[in-house]
Amino acid sequence: MMTRRLIGAMLIAGPLLAACGGSGEGLDQNGRPVTGGGNGGGGGGSTLTPDLQSIQANVFTPICTACHAGAAAPLGFRLDEASAFAMLVNAPSVEVPSLLRVSPGDPDSSYLIQKLEGHAAVGAQMPLDQAPLPQATINVIRQWITNGAAPAPAGMGLLTQLAAVAPVENEILTRSAPAPLIAADGALQLTTINAANLTVERSTSGQFDDAADVTRVHGAKLDVRSRNPTVFSLELPESERMPGTYRVTLRGSGPVPVLDSQGRPIGDFTLRFTIEDLP
Amino acid sequence: MTARLRIVTLLAVFISMLVCARAEAEPWFAVQQGFKCAQCHVNPAGGGMRNTFGEVWGQTALPARHLDIGEPWTGEINKYIAIGGNLRASGSFTDTPHQKSLSSFDVDEMRLYVEVRAIPDRLSLYVDQKIAPGGSINSEAYGRLWTSNHQWYLQAGQMYLPYGIRLQDDTAFIRQVTGVNFATPDRGVQVGFESPNWSAQLAVTNGTAGGSSTPDGKQYSLRAEHVRSIWRLGASVNFNDATGESRQMQNIFAGVRTGPISWLAEADYISDENFTPKRKQVVGLLEANWNFAKGHNLKVTTEYFDPDRDVDHDYQDRWSIVWEYTPYQFLQVRVGGRNYDGIPQNDSQNRRLVFAQINGYF
Repeated sequence: MMTRRLIGAMLIAGPLLAACGGSGEGLDQNGRPVTGGGNGGGGGGSTLTPDLQSIQANVFTPICTACHAGAAAPLGFRLDEASAFAMLVNAPSVEVPSLLRVSPGDPDSSYLIQKLEGHAAVGAQMPLDQAPLPQATINVIRQWITNGAAPAPAGMGLLTQLAAVAPVENEILTRSAPAPLIAADGALQLTTINAANLTVERSTSGQFDDAADVTRVHGAKLDVRSRNPTVFSLELPESERMPGTYRVTLRGSGPVPVLDSQGRPIGDFTLRFTIEDLP
Repeated sequence: MTARLRIVTLLAVFISMLVCARAEAEPWFAVQQGFKCAQCHVNPAGGGMRNTFGEVWGQTALPARHLDIGEPWTGEINKYIAIGGNLRASGSFTDTPHQKSLSSFDVDEMRLYVEVRAIPDRLSLYVDQKIAPGGSINSEAYGRLWTSNHQWYLQAGQMYLPYGIRLQDDTAFIRQVTGVNFATPDRGVQVGFESPNWSAQLAVTNGTAGGSSTPDGKQYSLRAEHVRSIWRLGASVNFNDATGESRQMQNIFAGVRTGPISWLAEADYISDENFTPKRKQVVGLLEANWNFAKGHNLKVTTEYFDPDRDVDHDYQDRWSIVWEYTPYQFLQVRVGGRNYDGIPQNDSQNRRLVFAQINGYF
């Protein structure tokens, strides 16, 4: 008798408790307070349109960042506002490295679409353990890709100046880790990047104050993934991916600086990371 | 089958008959029996491959009927190698407001487990590989060294993190929001302690869910649980400052048996320093498992999620009812429904899901 009472109470109390979710009063679609009379959250709750700002506000932020955000994002794949563009556009998939997550102009070959539509070669359909996105929503994302996968307007959270997306400063990598990914908040004149202002050096001690310990790494190549804003990875020759601490320097000052699209020197950029051999 | 294995098998069957139990790789079962996770799993913290006891139990005490196929499968190929696996496939119907209803069939996962006992009872190598759907993905791969008295162990490699109740359901708020689940193993080391009434783990990992390490910090996970025959109480703390995005989580969790009902509860408090102001979240779960007949379990769960303590009217609930039926060994059928309830502006937070799942295990 007690058992039946307990189960009965649970069956009644459960739905009652579950039926009292938040009223959403004063909030946008993402559950953030509405400010300034708008709908807040960068457009959350607005009609989905084929641009990154709208997709971010209506899909990536409210749905994907439940998992794909922060340090514990699965496979390091983050879809928060600050990371989404650089992590997606022209970025190789970790699960199927031969495919780009977003291949501008080619939604069918974009791994993002394959994951959303459920025919990717690896892993489950996204969003994981939720109803798949309506095809109409996926079609809008397809249209954004078909249109060239343009970035969101400046100021939406993209990195200022030039900044490392992955690895971050002083990160420790294995030899098989993806090439460093660097992004700007605007367009660079890529022709101004040359051997005089781009250097890659390796130090076995991790210090770069002893010239005898520092080796210049030759053969680094830029793999440009986006021109505006400029996003590129820095591919090191396999023979040069040896254990040690690396320092990447892009000089935006001095006699031959890297320039932005308006001809202005961008200032110096450095990135240090370490490649370790697995035991 | 060796004489020693026969004894272990018979002992497992005998104990399971004594306690009138059903074996299932879920925490509620441990609560019902007063067992620790290590009773049935290779991993002392639970989840993944079942040990000999767990395998035999799953074939003899769990199902409504036991089909006689001779000696039970123990997973042991020989003294040094054991294997196991799970296949979960499902059909589901999802109704989301303002969207066309969707029904689909899926292979949720096919996992294979391999344990190589390089030095039996002392040193082992373990792999948990998800081989479907799609390509192969490694979930766990580690080595574990036990002390001679089998109380302490050291584990190194890629592993699931010790934190709270290790529910099978990764979509539960307590697993999804904390980010500690079967989809986010991490690389590092873990020290564990096992005694008759205590189970504790301390893990130091990269804090990047299997990604590259960072210079900014590591993830520290501490979990301790006191287990008695009809109740248990535990607490966990997790701190992650990798990539400079500091997150601190703490929880308490408990289990108690009241007759044929096993109760599970967990409450989590999460604070994220990388939000301005600091974001604080609360997640909770209460679950009742009514084992109303041999091979049958009715699971009722209610969950709560407050995504930001400083924002009003934004909380979410989820209510689930699931019937779990194990007709005979190696096969379980689960049929259930889940109701999500959140802010009305977000359709996904207000969906309803009905599903049927088969779980083949060996």
